[in-house]
Amino acid sequence: MPPSVDLLQGTLDLLILKTVALEPVHGWGIAQRIQQVSKDVLQVGQGSLYPALHRLEYKGWIQAEWKPSENNRRAKYYSLTAKGKKQLAAELENWDRLTSAIELVLERV
Amino acid sequence: MVTEWLTRFRFLFTRRTHGEVDEELRFHLEEQIQANIAAGMAPKEARRKAAIAFGGVEAAREACREQRPGWFLETVLQDIRYALRGFRRNPVFTVTVVLTLALGIGATTAVFSVVDRILFRSLPYADADHLVSVGLMAPLSPNEFLLTDSYFEWRDHQTPFQSITSEDGVDPCDLAEEKPARLTCARVEANFLPTLGVNPLLGRNFTKDEDRPNAPKVALISYGVWKRNFGLNPGILNKTVSIDGHATRVLGVLPRDFEMPMLEAADVVVPQALDEARLCSTESSRMVFVFARLKPDVSIEQAKAALKPVFDYSLSKAPPRFRNEVHLRVRSLRDRQMQDIRLTAWILFGTVIAVLLIACANVASLMMARGAGRERELAVRAALGASRARLIRQALTEALLLSLAGAFAGCILAEALLRIFIAVAPDGIPFLSKAQLDLRIILFTILVAIACAALFGLAPALQRPRAQSLAGRSITSISRAALRQWLVAAQIAASMVLLVGGMLLMRSFWNLQNQNLGIRTESILTASLSLGQQRYPTQESQMAFSKQLEARLQRLPGVSVLAISDALPPNGYIHGMLYGVIGIAGRAKPEGESGGIVWWRSVTPEYFHALHIPILQGEGFTEEERNSNDHFIVVNKLLAARMFPNENPIGQRLQPSLSGPWYTVVGVAANVKNGSLAGEDQPEFYRLRRNRAEDWDRSSVMILKTSLPSDAMTQWVRSEVAALDPTLPAQIETLQQRVKKLADRPRFETTLVGFFATTGLVLAVIGLYGVISFLVAQRTQEIGVRMALGATRGDILKLVLGKGMRLIVLGGSIGFAASLGVSRVLSSLLFSIGPHDPVSFTVVGILLVLVALLAIMIPAGAATRVNPMVALRCE
Repeated sequence: MPPSVDLLQGTLDLLILKTVALEPVHGWGIAQRIQQVSKDVLQVGQGSLYPALHRLEYKGWIQAEWKPSENNRRAKYYSLTAKGKKQLAAELENWDRLTSAIELVLERV
Repeated sequence: MVTEWLTRFRFLFTRRTHGEVDEELRFHLEEQIQANIAAGMAPKEARRKAAIAFGGVEAAREACREQRPGWFLETVLQDIRYALRGFRRNPVFTVTVVLTLALGIGATTAVFSVVDRILFRSLPYADADHLVSVGLMAPLSPNEFLLTDSYFEWRDHQTPFQSITSEDGVDPCDLAEEKPARLTCARVEANFLPTLGVNPLLGRNFTKDEDRPNAPKVALISYGVWKRNFGLNPGILNKTVSIDGHATRVLGVLPRDFEMPMLEAADVVVPQALDEARLCSTESSRMVFVFARLKPDVSIEQAKAALKPVFDYSLSKAPPRFRNEVHLRVRSLRDRQMQDIRLTAWILFGTVIAVLLIACANVASLMMARGAGRERELAVRAALGASRARLIRQALTEALLLSLAGAFAGCILAEALLRIFIAVAPDGIPFLSKAQLDLRIILFTILVAIACAALFGLAPALQRPRAQSLAGRSITSISRAALRQWLVAAQIAASMVLLVGGMLLMRSFWNLQNQNLGIRTESILTASLSLGQQRYPTQESQMAFSKQLEARLQRLPGVSVLAISDALPPNGYIHGMLYGVIGIAGRAKPEGESGGIVWWRSVTPEYFHALHIPILQGEGFTEEERNSNDHFIVVNKLLAARMFPNENPIGQRLQPSLSGPWYTVVGVAANVKNGSLAGEDQPEFYRLRRNRAEDWDRSSVMILKTSLPSDAMTQWVRSEVAALDPTLPAQIETLQQRVKKLADRPRFETTLVGFFATTGLVLAVIGLYGVISFLVAQRTQEIGVRMALGATRGDILKLVLGKGMRLIVLGGSIGFAASLGVSRVLSSLLFSIGPHDPVSFTVVGILLVLVALLAIMIPAGAATRVNPMVALRCE
């Protein structure tokens, strides 16, 4: 099991980084956006979303700020840091390499 | 990397409140509800669906917390807090484990430090492993030596050594400076220091030219003398000092850690100045001690083989009848130094290992008992969601905490024990006073302790908690209970071995102390004097001094008998000669063998009276004979029986030298202990010290029989000696003190082994007590049921005692068998007692059973007081 867990975890990190890259967004917003954009294929449960957010925050890739939400409630907004941008670029490149490699294998074999 | 760590630290110290995570999660839930309502659900349904989609809040919160960088450390602290709480709740367990570990670690470390210093210390010589002591073993001396004629031959024709060198031993000498001092001078060859690989701290070694018989006198002084007598002044180099009245130039200072290869104390090293031309003939040969450095790839065995030709030469020089008693000996310098100390060290080592094993078994057994008792708690924690890893970590934390506490206490104990050892040890054990705690040894014992605590602490945590455990019934697996019982049996066995060893040594020591020495030691004061070469160069002056002192002491009040000898039984320096050398008038000297050694001393007539040695036949010496021109001799009973088995020895004439005067036998004295405390009585004779210079030499012992207290008498004797010669050091002590000192070594061994045996017994009893009380606690319900069904207290007592007795008998018999084997190792240390002494074995057996019974009686008594009602309601 360990490899698939790693892959999933890494993928979730990538999705989160990509989502918060556009504008500051709260946890609920991240989950919603990933679900919408993936046309309901990817559903991120809070059980894995929030630990991931905290982990990324501790790593210094994203930063958090408490702000009023659209409904005027206090919410924690996450945004990408400079370090996070570099990480996102690196992860995207990794992802491209990985998917193209997988495609190659799938086409040939 | 650095920033990453900084981030970690920042998060470690800015503790985030749980509230933030909760608020964030709540917001998420609210948003979901809003979204559901917006999608057209009823508020109640929306809330329900959202809650389902959301899942467990607690798990998410926990998972968020685990992301914190300091999380691991936090849980460690948590574990520690939890463990400490557990220890506080169970102080008896905690204190027992810590004390057990402390004893094990402390005793092991202290003794290891001593043994390490004795067995494995590095000698202060370059490449000391290549240094050997070589020579001949002959009845004349317990150690190897060479006669100079052989030595020159060996030196010139040997092949296995890079270099070979000799020393003469150490003698007292006088240093006359501003403050005159009596020192010890070692006489060595010019290549002595280079062979050992010792370089002087200051100055240089003497050359071969300076090592010739009539060369100007030179010397190297020890660091101690340099400090004491010359205040570390470097100007001492090339200064001329007076040693034994000769102007001597100081060439250098020896290194601080310098020691002679035979460990004699040497303040000054002077050239041996062997007169080769004179000493190469057999008749004028002298005894020297020879050391050599092996060539790089030559082993001791090879060296021995390679020495065969020169050894054969030496044999050919020996008197034909002694030849088969002469052997070649080559051994490492370390072996030469250690001799019988080695056995003592190994015995100590073995004792301590046994104690360490007992301690470990105890800790293991205690940890397992605790684990079994906590089965339910572990099951509850597992049911509440603690992961297996977490439980294991908790168990490890507890084991580590206990071991560290034990190790800390153990180190303190070790330091204290080491000081005690040094304080009580006799002088004869080399380097003990320099022993100190060794870091490696401390680490080693701590590791052992941690390993045994962790191993057995982990066992319960590793087991899958069973659902039944939650019910509160103790269902400790049979195998673990059996393992604990085996551990206890092993402990009992080990302590039995220790006790037998201790008991044998104790009984042997008692025999040694209470044996009949053949002399009466009460109310005898002795004063040993060694006259300096410078002030007393001739035998005339030596006799004059002794006679003057004798006259002065005679006038002291309270002196009833006064005698002068040159040596005192049961030990002390004594002259020896080969039996075969002694001529008997009217008989040819015996052919074939040397006949072993015969001791002799020179005494004045009152000697036998002063020491209460009965004269069995003849008159003994008389005062008139002191002025006679004839020579008189008294033989002891052993020698008389050997020389004159069927004749009257009185009036026989003996020639106790190769070509000296003839002596008339005037008495047969009873045997006295003369081969040290533990040795056999040896044949011995006494020459009369007459009022003639030829009978005197530099050493004499004044023997005073007095009814006055020894303190006062000592003062008087000291001032009488000082009145004659204020620079002469006198060693004044009672004969009882002298004899007591001889028993210091066995006393030391006995005390140590006894101490460890007691420690071992205490530990084993604690272990036995623990196991039995644990068994009783576990079977409380069962006992309750039995009592409810009509079992009497006697039945219950029998049940518990039977369990305990089985362990005692099992451990005892294993211990008995092991003791039979192990005690044989001790046999060379035992005095007039066999290694399988039935009394010791019986006493130890009874003692062990009694103490062990006591240990199981307490829990057994508790078992009989179980109230069936309470026990049954427990469920």
